[in-house]
Amino acid sequence: MKIRKANAGTLTNFEVLDFLRSRGAATDPTRVIAPMAQSEFKVYDYLVQTAACNQTKESIDEFLKKCKQYDLAKAEILNIINIRPASAVEIDSIIEECEKRMGERVEELVEMVVQVLPPPPNEPKPEEGMDEDKEENPIAEQMEAS
Amino acid sequence: MFFLSLIEHTLRVPPHLLSLPLNKAIMGELEKLFLDKVIANLGLCISVYDIRSIDGGFIFPGDGASTYTVKFRLIMFRPFVGEIITAKLKESDTNGLRLTLGFFYDIYVPAHLMPNPSQSEPDPENKNQVRWMWEFQGEKYPIDGIDEIRFRVHNVNYPSIPIEQPKESRPFAPMVVTGSLDYDGLGPISWWV
Repeated sequence: MKIRKANAGTLTNFEVLDFLRSRGAATDPTRVIAPMAQSEFKVYDYLVQTAACNQTKESIDEFLKKCKQYDLAKAEILNIINIRPASAVEIDSIIEECEKRMGERVEELVEMVVQVLPPPPNEPKPEEGMDEDKEENPIAEQMEAS
Repeated sequence: MFFLSLIEHTLRVPPHLLSLPLNKAIMGELEKLFLDKVIANLGLCISVYDIRSIDGGFIFPGDGASTYTVKFRLIMFRPFVGEIITAKLKESDTNGLRLTLGFFYDIYVPAHLMPNPSQSEPDPENKNQVRWMWEFQGEKYPIDGIDEIRFRVHNVNYPSIPIEQPKESRPFAPMVVTGSLDYDGLGPISWWV
């Protein structure tokens, strides 16, 4: 076995999820008919709980276009797409030297992330309320105001 | 945390697979060989992404099976240092925490990489386990197994296969991820929201 190229391209969680879905992971409740191994199903189970499960190719393309102005490293962009932070505190752990490089623009970036990328499926944030989509934005605004 | 790797391998396709179309037979063999296995310094193989080229098809003398040289791409799981990953708590003891991702559960957060200051207290419910508490501004925040824990990857190790192991030690882990919780925004999600 020869390793021709150890790194032939990074994949976001969304791309891996999309690939697994195209092999039939989502449509098969019995998990026996789809041509996938049990270990692949475990990866699918994990990814479906992260923010990647609601994302679409268009939203990721849009995000990539808009974040060019912030001069982020490739690893930081990947982290943001995979985690989908909804507040400044979460972005702080992703971006190195956040205060020095971005200062006030952190709030703008958080807002842009919240607008462009869809929220993750099971919200740990709002405890009450049935409508998750409506409550994502007010909480983000509260965080920025305080 | 995922990326593609281009690998070339010389594969022997056993004769009982001759009735299948070549692509399927080769995919099957590749999956048997690589899926869910760790390749040193490359990571855990999740899936075969695609097959780029199939060459060969020679039959060596004395052999009943044909041999192909296949170039293909694998989806590898290898977190890079500095990546932030959300995982669930598997167990916690005096040395630190162990986290799991469902498909990978050799993620350890040792005691010195816990948020500072924190202490461990014997867990009231479980006799063998220990609960870690983080003290911040006078309040104690426990790390319990209720919600997901966000950690930053500190290190990824590929220990070499041991020749002998003492009887009761943990089963050998070919890939070990060390995580750190010592930063703003890391730890159980409920702490920051």
